[in-house]
Amino acid sequence: MPLLVAGLNHRTAPIEMRERFAFAEAALPEALTRLRSGGLAEEAVIVSTCNRVEIYAWSAAEAASSLDGLRQFLADHGGGPSWVSQEVYGWSEPQSVEHLFRVVSGLDSMVLGETEVLGQVKKAYDIALRHRHTGWRLNKVFQRAFNVAKQIRTETFIQRGSVSVGSVAVDLAEKIFDALGGCSVLVLGAGDTSEKAARAFLSRGAREVVVANRTLARAELLASELGGRAVPFDRWSEVAEAVDILLSSTAASEYLVNTAGLESIMKRRQYRPLLMVDIAVPRNIDPAVSYLENVYLYNVDDLQAIADDCMQRRREELHHCETIIRDRAAALLADPRRHPWVSQARQQPLDSRV
Amino acid sequence: MTEIYRLLNRHSSLIYPRVNVVSDRGYFAVAVAIYGLASIYAFFLWRRGFLREERVSYVLLACALGFHTVAMLKRGFTLSRCPVNNLYEAIAFVLWTITAIYLVLGLWRRFRFLGAFASPVLFGVGVFALFPELDQRGADADLARGWSSVHAALILLAYGAFGLASVAGAMYLTQERELKLRKVRAVLNLLPPIGRLELTVGRLLMIGFALLTVGLSLGAYNLHAEGRPYSVWDAKILWSVLVWVIYLGLLVMHLRFAHRGRRIALGAVASFAFVLLTFWGTNLLSAIHGPP
Repeated sequence: MPLLVAGLNHRTAPIEMRERFAFAEAALPEALTRLRSGGLAEEAVIVSTCNRVEIYAWSAAEAASSLDGLRQFLADHGGGPSWVSQEVYGWSEPQSVEHLFRVVSGLDSMVLGETEVLGQVKKAYDIALRHRHTGWRLNKVFQRAFNVAKQIRTETFIQRGSVSVGSVAVDLAEKIFDALGGCSVLVLGAGDTSEKAARAFLSRGAREVVVANRTLARAELLASELGGRAVPFDRWSEVAEAVDILLSSTAASEYLVNTAGLESIMKRRQYRPLLMVDIAVPRNIDPAVSYLENVYLYNVDDLQAIADDCMQRRREELHHCETIIRDRAAALLADPRRHPWVSQARQQPLDSRV
Repeated sequence: MTEIYRLLNRHSSLIYPRVNVVSDRGYFAVAVAIYGLASIYAFFLWRRGFLREERVSYVLLACALGFHTVAMLKRGFTLSRCPVNNLYEAIAFVLWTITAIYLVLGLWRRFRFLGAFASPVLFGVGVFALFPELDQRGADADLARGWSSVHAALILLAYGAFGLASVAGAMYLTQERELKLRKVRAVLNLLPPIGRLELTVGRLLMIGFALLTVGLSLGAYNLHAEGRPYSVWDAKILWSVLVWVIYLGLLVMHLRFAHRGRRIALGAVASFAFVLLTFWGTNLLSAIHGPP
């Protein structure tokens, strides 16, 4: 009676198929009830995210037939033809345990090492737990999985650093300023790129966003979306005296910021540190300004290079993570409390054990 | 080990207990050895780019502080007063202050790497303090009562604060360099943000300057009250005033003239390097601080 997993993910199925199989959060308790009442599982958890739909189950029946049943359950839920069930992967122990450990650690994610999936699995487990669809066996496996995810996060680099340009810019800001909560951001240009970058800073607690654009109406529109304020474009250098971060992504064909201009701004701002992120192509900021004291300039290539380095380091950590997962899975599977005679004893009513 | 003891004890002019496993100098030697271990570990931390959470330096320096404290207590009980009477004791006091402040700051995870930057300074200066010539009776040994001890202790605490400010400054320069060179380590390392380091340098300088001002004022008052003959051109008095002026200048530039970031960090490192390199020399030249 091992742990079983059946499902599909971003590697095995395109989005058209994944969206058909997905479970709405509100529908999970009912689906779990159907699974258990249909005799397919004694305990079950359904994880449904944008990248995966997986059923983790514990069944008293033989593993192969149980897996077939779980595949069919998914196929029925997706409303697809019977051959679809063959596209659903299914594993028994030890692969199922190792797979769960990989999923919660972000090793099986589209973006290697991402942490969002841990929260999603925790939520799915919590729903199953609250509706009493898990017992001591799945509880133990999932608690161990969360513990493994924590170990991997603290002992390896798999989740260290950011792998997107916007997040790298925010990481850099956190290495310059004491607290991002006290930082204000000036955005030059009101395009999509500016908006994404500004949102990345706001999501990590930036205090204020000021938008300057050649068309004031566009600046006002973006500022209202971001909860900030707009200023006329010719006033950006006045605003730059007060802000901590300057994001630039205008379509200007010449440098908007040069060394002489920035030097006078820095003098007026008493050389407080200034992070400048130039995500425009062609560049808006003269690269020579990075020689000025307390000016930290990064263009889109710099940010991408850091993001690539972070991703490379994550890949290099894969082997270390896999070793931890194999060891922790082996330790769990070797736990004598999981032996059949122990589980039978646990299932017996208390009075029959006397 | 026997050879080391023999070397350290060969000067018969020493008035304080010789180095052995139970003397205060013995405990101090153990503390310095642990500072040495922490320095070796710091080298590997530096090579790895301060990427992993740091506990080893903190634990090593906590152990060292234990031995260091015992050494100072033993010396203090032997003399029945604050052990700040000669160069050895003065240096031991400064190093103790640096380690103690670090252990408090190190309670914040990101400041733990201060230990990696401080260890080589603690080790190098600690080895220097163990030279037997530095542990001779001070000129004012018999006069060092009450306020004189407070005067010396306050000034040495000030140097401790300046020492740690220079360590934080070195940390700032390391992190700033990574950021300017756009290295991935700037994002991945666990050093504090440079903004926080600048704040730390500034505050430690202010604390050190306040202690130095009070300590020097007390020293001037003592000389006047005790009626001892002295010259205002005494090397130590001139040097102390120079150090006070240097740190005053650094603070004025920082607070009044936007002398920020790299400049204040470099200033803190250079000023403390000056103190380290000239402290012992001016002490030996001074009629009121040097040996008789």
